Amino acid sequence: MRREPNAVDFWRGFALVTIFIDHIPGLLYASYTLINFSISDAADLFVFLAGWSLRLMADGGGRSMPTRDVMLRLFGRALELYAAQVLITMLAIAMLALTSIWLDNPLLLEWHNAAAVFSDPVPTHIGLALLTHQLGFFDILPLYVVLMLMAPFFALIDRLAPHLLLPTSATLYVCALVFRLTLPTWPVSGTWFFNPLAWQFIFVLGFSFARADAGIGALVRRHIFWVRVLAVPVLIYFTFAVVFDALWDPTNVPEPKLFFLLDKTWATPPRLIQFLALIAVFSSAFYYIRRFAKLPWVHYPSNALIQMLAMLGRNSLYVFCVGSLLSLTAQFVRFAYRGTVGVDTAVVICGIMTMAFTAWLAELRQRKPSAAPR
Amino acid sequence: MACRIATTQTLRRTALIGTALAALVIGGAPLQAQTPAAPMPLSKACQPGANAGADQSPLPNVAAVLAKRKTLRILAMGAAPGRVNAHHGGYTALIETMLERALKGVDVVMINRGVSGELAASAASRMKNEVALDEPDLVLWQVGTNDALAGVPADEFADTVRQQIAWLKAHKVDVVLVGLQFAKEMLRDAHYVKIRETLRKVAAQENVIVIRFFEAMEIINKVQGDGSEPAAEEFSRDEAGYNCLAQYVAQAITLGVFAKNLPKQPAPK
Repeated sequence: MRREPNAVDFWRGFALVTIFIDHIPGLLYASYTLINFSISDAADLFVFLAGWSLRLMADGGGRSMPTRDVMLRLFGRALELYAAQVLITMLAIAMLALTSIWLDNPLLLEWHNAAAVFSDPVPTHIGLALLTHQLGFFDILPLYVVLMLMAPFFALIDRLAPHLLLPTSATLYVCALVFRLTLPTWPVSGTWFFNPLAWQFIFVLGFSFARADAGIGALVRRHIFWVRVLAVPVLIYFTFAVVFDALWDPTNVPEPKLFFLLDKTWATPPRLIQFLALIAVFSSAFYYIRRFAKLPWVHYPSNALIQMLAMLGRNSLYVFCVGSLLSLTAQFVRFAYRGTVGVDTAVVICGIMTMAFTAWLAELRQRKPSAAPR
Repeated sequence: MACRIATTQTLRRTALIGTALAALVIGGAPLQAQTPAAPMPLSKACQPGANAGADQSPLPNVAAVLAKRKTLRILAMGAAPGRVNAHHGGYTALIETMLERALKGVDVVMINRGVSGELAASAASRMKNEVALDEPDLVLWQVGTNDALAGVPADEFADTVRQQIAWLKAHKVDVVLVGLQFAKEMLRDAHYVKIRETLRKVAAQENVIVIRFFEAMEIINKVQGDGSEPAAEEFSRDEAGYNCLAQYVAQAITLGVFAKNLPKQPAPK
């Protein structure tokens, strides 16, 4: 039974569409997404909401599910994500190879960190399987896989000693920033674009805030007015600073520098604070969007938009995978036909419609057949 | 006319490199105490593209650093950190090895922070944080390929690169730009050509080294196509190209260290 649109699914759908657009470099519409007005972006929202959804999964059946079953379920989800990452990576490599042949252009084989796959396949395939070799813009799912591998432990702590969960996660986060702990890439030397040791904190924050009856989630809900009073100036400051390029010089910050930088890889504290301010201010936006959608003259398009974004959010893994491949396809199309306004518009419309079709197909498949053949 | 200009530029570049090499032998005494004066030799296969490879410019901050300590920190930014070779190292690993061989006694630390698919604007923004964190003496910035493929307007690209060079200079960090990747099919892509030209102009105006990888590989490919060299498979040729790129970068850096007295080249109009 399909659930009605809710805020989590809606914003997750919003994040998926935004990631699709942001992952097409040079696209006209990429100048209007969240990242152009905010320090944090759709990736933060996606991971935060993944943590939020983890709460629903971990607390499945009203917390009555045995701990062992919950942990197995979460581990199974990590495997599912891993399989999805391997599948879309292999498809992306095939797409790069196919387009390279089709356009008779070997340069495309070197696009998006794919060069090593073709030039030195032996170690690179090991790297692909270990997730230490990631194609450009195919680096969010590896983060998600690691987060889901950590999720059983988070869920266990949450069951046994819930008050220790956030401090444990925060300690790991602080240690990662102070000692610059991260995961390396291999065989191409470097580090993960999304450092899981830092990003796990956003994930756990989502998990913690999702709990309404206790902990920090309950505390914030009780004092949401004052939280918003604090959040609004933070949001205004960062929005102006981003739009007018008035952010501080990163070379002037004190040690430990990662505490004060605005860095995506490390999900640094200023970025995190801005993101939490954004969440606080917009946490009730969905309620008003739904009310707005009830107005007679905008009802049909607004409601359709809400339904579509919520549907994308309900089927986020399928949509994310297809969206990643669509972003790559869009780059080929823009390269072959040049990014004019018409091409960019067509790319965005076709991409979002395909993502919606993917979600619709997924829901169609989940529905019980009314008259199953015997 | 174009041919004449090209010939003049080639002669000027050759003269500048010659001056730098002479400076190594004649006037490089203070740095010779720190580093050997041996010029970075190029392999035979890479020699044809040498003159197209780079305009020579000094690297004052690197020279100053090497006069004080024996560690050179290089931050590799931009497109991909490079393809891996048979020894599972990127071209930046090759550069590190070559520089340590050429600058005897100097520990070269290569910090790879390339993100594939990244446009110049994103790399520029990220580079500021990486400079703050890693405190490099030199940034090796592979730039332009993604912007050209993504159709970023040349003016916008030029502004981004120019502003970033200014920021790096203000923070006493030298920069070596690595130009666009080579594929002969891109010779007929007008925007790709335009971005290449734009990068060359910006580098000349800002008096920074740009390794013109595309042009060098074009010459090497022509030489190989002439039948004077055995025709190579696409991949082995590309790998050889990245070996040459590493050599051009290492040579440009070693020359740049000793070339602080070189006259500034006139910027193209």
